[in-house]
Amino acid sequence: MTALLSVDGISAGYGAITVLRDLTLHVGRDESIGLFGPNGHGKTTLLRTISGLLRASAGRIRFDGADISRQRPAAIVNAGLVHSPQANTMFGDMAIAETLELAAFAPRARAGAKQRMEQVLALFPRLAERRKQLARTLSGGERQMLSIGCALMCDPRLLMLDEPTLGLSPRLKEELAEAVGAIARSGVPLIVVEQDVEFLLALTQRLYMIEHGAVAREIDRSDGLDHREVMQLYFGQGGEA
Amino acid sequence: MNSIVATLVSGILLGSLYALMASGLSVVWTTLGVFNFAHGALMMIGAYAAWTVSEGMGLGLLPGILAGVAVAALCGIVIEYLLIRPFYGTRHMLLVTVMTTLAALIILEKGAQLIWGAKLKQLPRLVTGDVSIFGATISWHEAIIILLAPIVLLLLWRFTAMTNRGRSLRAVGQNQDSAALIGIDVPYAFAIAFGLAAALAGLTGALLGSIRFITPVMGSEPLVKAMIVVIFGGLGSLGATAGAAYVIGLLEAFLILWLGLYWTPFALFLLMIAVLIFRPNGLFGRA
Repeated sequence: MTALLSVDGISAGYGAITVLRDLTLHVGRDESIGLFGPNGHGKTTLLRTISGLLRASAGRIRFDGADISRQRPAAIVNAGLVHSPQANTMFGDMAIAETLELAAFAPRARAGAKQRMEQVLALFPRLAERRKQLARTLSGGERQMLSIGCALMCDPRLLMLDEPTLGLSPRLKEELAEAVGAIARSGVPLIVVEQDVEFLLALTQRLYMIEHGAVAREIDRSDGLDHREVMQLYFGQGGEA
Repeated sequence: MNSIVATLVSGILLGSLYALMASGLSVVWTTLGVFNFAHGALMMIGAYAAWTVSEGMGLGLLPGILAGVAVAALCGIVIEYLLIRPFYGTRHMLLVTVMTTLAALIILEKGAQLIWGAKLKQLPRLVTGDVSIFGATISWHEAIIILLAPIVLLLLWRFTAMTNRGRSLRAVGQNQDSAALIGIDVPYAFAIAFGLAAALAGLTGALLGSIRFITPVMGSEPLVKAMIVVIFGGLGSLGATAGAAYVIGLLEAFLILWLGLYWTPFALFLLMIAVLIFRPNGLFGRA
């Protein structure tokens, strides 16, 4: 069976700066993967390239067998590949309920939008409490919830989360980690970018360590490594860089 | 007393026209972050297209007005595609699009002169005859403009606030990446915003063509007034823009009564400069 998502030798960057160099990875059906590695080495760029915000200068990205490397973000969302970006500020002057309703914009997301809205509000009670508030009045953690909530409203077949707990207080971090775990248990495959390897090991089947814009190492949970060994590996290799 | 009522009515008429014009500028600004200097020229194109269908082909005024709206919308979409889209995301985009929309203005004005000639043209009125409002007499056509403007503005507001397509324009204006990642096609939203604004300009032109002469430069004065309106109201909110349009319309009418036609533009610009200095986000804008 073909992979749900396969990224074959892509290169991408900003202007003259190349960030991703010949990067290859895949996500199988019914599995979640984690991405970790030092900051500024291309994890976010990879997600932006997969979701179509950036165009790969070389290589090919296939989702469910179809080549999406030249498609616009709207078409990619409509295929069910959804990206909740890092520190997403959303729409400052739009109310939360309005934003969530709007997020079911893609044709594929329209059926069952009401039901998904209820699920999102149940997953994030804070959003339910603040449904009439404008997004710019939200805290960083609440915005993160809104961003993930919007991604869920798109009815994802594969959900990419970029550092969902970045810069949050320990309490909020735990709240979000629990929500992400609930999403994974509900059967939505995930690609999660996180620095917290322990969190990734609990959540996903395989990890990719991204370094210098390429996959430096692939770790299968069945390899039996615990998070301390992974961290050792991480810092060991990071030290060489 | 009579002159006060007459001034009020003419102020509301001006306000209606300014509201129709300025709301289009506001839609383009909130979606694309671009100030469209060709907006007045699109209004003029609407008037000429209405004239061609209504008088040139003799098909009647209502088909003419529809043609004016459609042709202006089409021109707007073409301008967006050719003169604005190539510059999205580039540095100094705002400045570059000031120049490209000014270029569009010149092309449309000179083009209109080539196509329709220099001879003054005018459309017939929607309804003939006059109506008396508290002793002030205006034409039925002007009364229809006064009644139509709030309806159009209300529909526009409903579109941007209540429909997902309209909301998508606001979303794109506030955060393009976030909008794209919930499945909104950003370039398509740009085209819709520009086409919609141009359609509003075309409607204004087709309505104005019955009470003023249609000339290639007929759009420049309404554009300047619409600019004063959006600065006065603060670009961004449709409600503030509409409110500012009526305030400026009434103010202009009363300034004409008190200071005369000659000093009125001077006083309006003085007001605009004062607003820019003391309330740079507009009188109704957030500080």
